[in-house]
Amino acid sequence: MSNSYTITLEINRYDPDTALSWIQTYKVTVGGMLRFVDVLRKINDEQDPTLAWASSCEHAQCGSCGISVNGKPLLACELLVKDAVEQFNTHTFRLRPLTIAPVLRDLVVDLEKAYDRVHKAKPYLIKPAPPQPDGDEYRISPETLETYSEATRCINCFCCATACISSHDHFLGPNVTMANIVRLMDQREMAKEERMDILYREDGVYRCHTARACSFVCPKDIDVSHFLALGKEGKF
Amino acid sequence: MGKTLTIDSTLRCDVLVIGAGGAGLRAATAICEQIPAKKIIALTKLTSPQKSHTTTAQGGMAAVDPKDPIDRPIFHMFDTWKGSDCSADQNVIKKVCEMGWEEVVWLEKHGMHFSRTEEGRIAKRPFGGHMLNFGDTKAFRACYEADRTGKGIMDTVWSESLRYGVSFFGQCVATELLLKDGTCIGAVIFRYPEGKFLAILAKATIMATGGNTRMYQVSSNCRGNTGDGLALALNAGLPVMALEAVQFHPTGMVGPGILASEALRGEGAILRNKDEEPFMERYAPTAKDLAPRDLISRAVVQEMREGRGLFHEGHNAPHVWLDLRHLPKEVHEKKIQEVCSFFKRFVGVDPEKDLCPVTPTAHYQMGGIPTNEFGEVQSDTQSIVPGLFACGEVAAASLHGLNRLGTNSLLELITMGRVTGERVVEYLKDAKKPEDLPPDAEHIAFNQFSTYLNARGKEKYGQIRDTLRNLMMEKVGIFRTEESLVEAIESLRELKERAMHVAVGTTSLKANQDLWQIWELNNLITVSMVIAQGALMRQESRGGHFREDYPERSNEFNYHTLASMPEFDTVTFGKRPIDMSIFEAKGERFELFDYIKREY
Repeated sequence: MSNSYTITLEINRYDPDTALSWIQTYKVTVGGMLRFVDVLRKINDEQDPTLAWASSCEHAQCGSCGISVNGKPLLACELLVKDAVEQFNTHTFRLRPLTIAPVLRDLVVDLEKAYDRVHKAKPYLIKPAPPQPDGDEYRISPETLETYSEATRCINCFCCATACISSHDHFLGPNVTMANIVRLMDQREMAKEERMDILYREDGVYRCHTARACSFVCPKDIDVSHFLALGKEGKF
Repeated sequence: MGKTLTIDSTLRCDVLVIGAGGAGLRAATAICEQIPAKKIIALTKLTSPQKSHTTTAQGGMAAVDPKDPIDRPIFHMFDTWKGSDCSADQNVIKKVCEMGWEEVVWLEKHGMHFSRTEEGRIAKRPFGGHMLNFGDTKAFRACYEADRTGKGIMDTVWSESLRYGVSFFGQCVATELLLKDGTCIGAVIFRYPEGKFLAILAKATIMATGGNTRMYQVSSNCRGNTGDGLALALNAGLPVMALEAVQFHPTGMVGPGILASEALRGEGAILRNKDEEPFMERYAPTAKDLAPRDLISRAVVQEMREGRGLFHEGHNAPHVWLDLRHLPKEVHEKKIQEVCSFFKRFVGVDPEKDLCPVTPTAHYQMGGIPTNEFGEVQSDTQSIVPGLFACGEVAAASLHGLNRLGTNSLLELITMGRVTGERVVEYLKDAKKPEDLPPDAEHIAFNQFSTYLNARGKEKYGQIRDTLRNLMMEKVGIFRTEESLVEAIESLRELKERAMHVAVGTTSLKANQDLWQIWELNNLITVSMVIAQGALMRQESRGGHFREDYPERSNEFNYHTLASMPEFDTVTFGKRPIDMSIFEAKGERFELFDYIKREY
């Protein structure tokens, strides 16, 4: 194995049966190309089958494996060991669950609960524009699409919501607010008034403090704060 | 002796959808559009339907606008028939190809963000095996949203289902189908967070659990694509169809096998061997890099076997090159943005400057639970199971036969999802409310979980999983022989036995990942056994199923394999005829819908 690394993971554990929590340390030797999901799998296979963590697609397209590594929320599937060593300048990593939803066990949080917020943004077209006379698709120019297509790439991993200084209590969160803004920019949506109500409600876009943590941590490199700024300006 | 497992509570609904991906939720929305008041429960293994495997599909969804001046639905039908190596059902091909455009427009009207032409219309790109004029030249037929078309589709059907008030049950699996006097009345489900079993009684149940290729060492599938739905059907005594038809996508990223879409080659990318020769020209002189997947995957392995492959040190694995360096910057940045970022992050290469290392990856199950053209599940060639429906990758109607064309799976999810939903609407008109379950009912699921919880021994889950994945890749992979298959079947028996001696890490039922994965492992072994037995039985080569000892297609096997497994490793086979209705209708160019020679 080329470029092998010996790393130490200090992981938050939580047992739902006893409600006990503790920090457990694992030391592993792995190839640099392995992702953190592979490392966790290796720990399951070789050291501790009880350690629970979440993932699904494992290539940054579903947003199931968000965790915090040395305080930074990210997707465990796209953090390669060699990059982690370089980026954090250490061989010791502190893994914690995301703080945006209750912990079910160890690193697994109940994202179903976090999704309740997404549902509040009504990601569908509330009131679609009347159909084209020919019955075919609406015409949308590539230039118009270009203004918001980046925001449609969001996978609701809640990394931004975890990093956000306001989203834990009083703010719907960056990803959820952005989902609403996408539909405000979408010319097929007629229910703009209802959308403005969602945008400017008590837990709406003005709870954002413009720290821009969302843009810095987004695993999809979406400039989330740009879209929130459009929301604050009311410029669609 | 351990815990007593019980049904915690019983819920009732009109329709239970097992698997809330593209197909399951298109079916759900089709029902809601006609009868919005019905109570629908949709189960997903994940925390939200939005995270389904559908969301990882990249390249596009094939559909011909009937008003298109150049392309025609009949060309699409022919390509699908030829692509299947003459083993798909023509009634299904016709129905799906004719519905395609309507469904693209449905998605767009419900908010999907398709890429656009300068005129603001939905943009289209070429894809493997899709051609104009019955195989003449490449067709622009795949409607796409950059290289995240599956995500666009998933977001649309998920949010539409949300709008209609479909109840999503996340983090749970169906562990047993409930059949009473041959009618499906729902399922027993297991909730991961609380570790509880629930019974869900439904007038109609739709199976849409997706794919199953996680038994292969290199696979593009999600972690949870473990054949649960197929195992559920087999355990209920139902047959499955043509599981030997596993698709290997030629361009998985070296290492884990993450998909590098065919859209890359649709945009002009070229496969090259270690001498940087564009080798597909030798294997498919007309279609070249846009030949169907089965053909290209075999070509890639052939190049490796003859010493023209390369070896990736970091991932310790063989590969060939995919060359994207000559594509315009605009294409890299806008049309294939996601895949380019995957290459950068997971492989450490920049597709604008570097050659990209790729290798075939297990991608798709063409076979599945047999259904008729309405999504009704068949118990044999003559009869259906009342109350039980299936659509999407877990089902086989069969649109794909033994080889699926790229972009035909998203097409199938959406069209057959809708067709199935509409059939459920009809069925509900006369369907009776299921009676209560007897409180002391014996459940297969309890037996399984008790076995796993009480197992003692030194066997390790991870070792068995890895052995299985290597075994299937080597012996039941792209190239198969009688010898390799017989060995695989013997090894699968041993693995099944070993899996009985894995001591679970903790016997808690709450969020017990180890227990959940042992259940998945057993499903994988069950499905692998049927794949291997089916492959052994089919002594010919057709589509994605290639036997080195029988390298030609044989008319003797002009049928779909039906397989049942009343006990593990005892597989019994039946036959379902291939529907030839386009050929038999004697319409335009009907002779092309015969068992034709397949060259590209």
